[in-house]
Amino acid sequence: MIRRLGRRRLVAVLAVLGPGLIAANAGNDAGGIATYASVGAKYGYDLLWMMVVITVSLIVVQEMAARMGAVTGKGLAELIREEYGVRWSLFATGSVLVANLGICISEFVGIGAALNLAGIPFQVSVPIAAAGVWLLVVRGSYKVAERVFVLMTIPFFAYPVAAILAHPNWGSVGKAIVEPRFQLNSGYIFLFIATAGTTITPFMQLYVQSAVVERGIGTDELRAEQLEVTSGSIFANVVASFIIIATGATLFVHGEKTVNNAADAARALKPFAGRFAEVLFGVGLLGASLLAAAILPVTAAYVIAETFGFEKGIRLRPREAPVFVAVITILIGIGTLVAIIPGVPVISLLVAVQVVNGILLPVTLFFVWRLAANRELMGDYANGRLFNLLAGLTVIATSALSILLLAVTFLG
Amino acid sequence: MESATATVPRVLHLGLVVGGALLDVAGAKLGRVDDLIVRLGEDEYPPVTGLLATLAGRQVFVPADAIQEIEQGCVRLRAHRLDLQRFDRRPQEVLLRKDVLDRQLINVDGARLVRANEIELARLDGWYRVVGVDVGLRGLLRRVLPRALAGSIETTLFLDWASVEPFTGHVPTVRLRVPHPKLARLHPAQLADLVEQASHDEGEEILGAVGDDPELEADVFEELEPRHQQEFVGDRSDGEVAEVLSHMEPDDAADLVHELPEERREEVVRLLPLVQRRRVRALLGYDPATAGGLMSPEFVCVFTQASQQEVVDRVRASRVSAEALAWIYVMDASKRLVGAIALVDLLRSDPSLPLGDFVEVAQTVRVDADVEEVARLMTDFDLTVVPVVDDEQRLLGVVTVDDVLELVLPRGWRRQFGLFGE
Repeated sequence: MIRRLGRRRLVAVLAVLGPGLIAANAGNDAGGIATYASVGAKYGYDLLWMMVVITVSLIVVQEMAARMGAVTGKGLAELIREEYGVRWSLFATGSVLVANLGICISEFVGIGAALNLAGIPFQVSVPIAAAGVWLLVVRGSYKVAERVFVLMTIPFFAYPVAAILAHPNWGSVGKAIVEPRFQLNSGYIFLFIATAGTTITPFMQLYVQSAVVERGIGTDELRAEQLEVTSGSIFANVVASFIIIATGATLFVHGEKTVNNAADAARALKPFAGRFAEVLFGVGLLGASLLAAAILPVTAAYVIAETFGFEKGIRLRPREAPVFVAVITILIGIGTLVAIIPGVPVISLLVAVQVVNGILLPVTLFFVWRLAANRELMGDYANGRLFNLLAGLTVIATSALSILLLAVTFLG
Repeated sequence: MESATATVPRVLHLGLVVGGALLDVAGAKLGRVDDLIVRLGEDEYPPVTGLLATLAGRQVFVPADAIQEIEQGCVRLRAHRLDLQRFDRRPQEVLLRKDVLDRQLINVDGARLVRANEIELARLDGWYRVVGVDVGLRGLLRRVLPRALAGSIETTLFLDWASVEPFTGHVPTVRLRVPHPKLARLHPAQLADLVEQASHDEGEEILGAVGDDPELEADVFEELEPRHQQEFVGDRSDGEVAEVLSHMEPDDAADLVHELPEERREEVVRLLPLVQRRRVRALLGYDPATAGGLMSPEFVCVFTQASQQEVVDRVRASRVSAEALAWIYVMDASKRLVGAIALVDLLRSDPSLPLGDFVEVAQTVRVDADVEEVARLMTDFDLTVVPVVDDEQRLLGVVTVDDVLELVLPRGWRRQFGLFGE
């Protein structure tokens, strides 16, 4: 009986598989991998315990956004405009556009770097990848696009394999997960905050809610969608943890403590975990960058269309939703161009993006929290008292970290 | 130009009215204007029935008869004093800023959803009324800029309120009380498009508004995509679903029954009126993607020996849809299809000629033919109706071009709009 119930639930989750999984995993992008790899290289397993806390926070936040999508049938940007007015809405929209453009550029750089490991020059690989991503998002139906996005999470399995190849001491890994270790030095704190920032990013809430709406998931499928968001978030962070384990077991142990970017991490793994580990890291980076290179422009397009009331949807063609498609096209176009121009300072660009996201995150999270607790809007599906407290704590803690990161970035 | 401005009432922007000062008759500041209240319903241009203002930290209600003048930047009262009243929403009243501004509205003439970037007011017939909605970027820009600069942005063309229908489902007390008469101007297909684009609650509101006319509601349901049909059927009781189905074309009704969860199908079909129940039952036996699933059992079929007059009488008496009547089918004594007559040929001819002179060979498909085959036959023989036959060549139904087009039309061809809904 219980087994049958379990199976039915699994079927229900598989039926709604998509929004939550995609949103959370798009966060394991080029920038995310670089951060996680640095965490492992610099501090070994010391920050693993934090991934558990971050996972819980991510689930809390993503669940609220998905629930709002299912209950109201409206995107987050739309609700912000309707409930908090046009100024906040324009602020959020503007920041999302800037932040997503920046991240989008870094994804195309990531695609180029990943394929460069295989010897393909990025002037060739990046435009081809961009064309593929554009065609999928603009010409494909929602169903097809979403299926491909889900399939793009398969390369993430490369990281657990790479971690195993790195022969970590599983005993110390387990201990690190359950035993919080804290160091009071600026490097540790910086990576601590950066990890939180890369794991919970504004586009995730915006994307998951809009995608739930476009899929037409209603309150009848809410339970399944909540499970989908939860399992998707857990999967994403388990993958992230394996990246930390992989570099922690190799680079950290051998004293190679600096990782500049994701491709660097792959290259650095080779002497310690073998050529295969390098390939696996490269594959993971490619899949992650491709996924995020599609999701970020789409999220920006959803937000613009929701704020201003344009037609929106992956299922629509250019002439049906001209603005939606134009936003996607411009973001992919600029991303590609900047990525193939040599000498673009990607690192300073990423820092700038981090700043914009750092300002935006508290705003988005606050709106998510307040909107999901709004009884007038959500009726019986509004946050319960206990959950609301947990959500408030999460929002405040995450926002505080985010503002702290800003301070650290500016004050050096 | 001067004289024109004298007769045309000056347009006030809601964004500049709210947030302005509340002044007493002498011009002394009492508080701040928060929102305007209007009554939807009877009037073509809804009148302002009061406003909400904050006085010394408290929100109070100011009824319309206490208001002397509404200006951008300030509202002047008739008296020095103000009776402090609490706001109790009366039927059909909405708050312009809270309930309408920044939300979606239906642009009835454009048959699309728009977002209210600004609400325009003017003094008409002696009182302040909502005259329209700005859906362009200027209205938005005006609201974002500081007050001093905002006034310099000119008023542009805006949507007349006469062609706008607001959603009121999110307003707590006006639910179900505000009729949406303007929606009746829309074609069922346009209504269906709106329902599909709107959120679930807004879609329910549109369906609820046309629900008084069961025929129209059924027509809208026919035009909805299956995914959305399911969405709205899910909220309705078996009896309500049967009510909608009873007004639908039998083939569309059968398709919808197919979409229902298995445990509901039998009960819903049982609740249908007898004739519709029989037709739907007959069609349910076929795979929806085949000619059998697409066909409608409604057509006119006569025996070979019938006279022209008899045929015309049959057509007159029938309630078959116009599309399916383009051709009259002819069968022999054992009810086998022998041919077809174009109704137009019949009407144009000498009434004394025998029916046999007009009979043409009928191109048929079998019940299990797939959509592609039906579409191909229609294209090759320029047909708008294809008869569907069983193994013995007996006519079971007809597939009309509208049902096929829906399935073969490339994605992305269905809707097309300009940038804004002006």
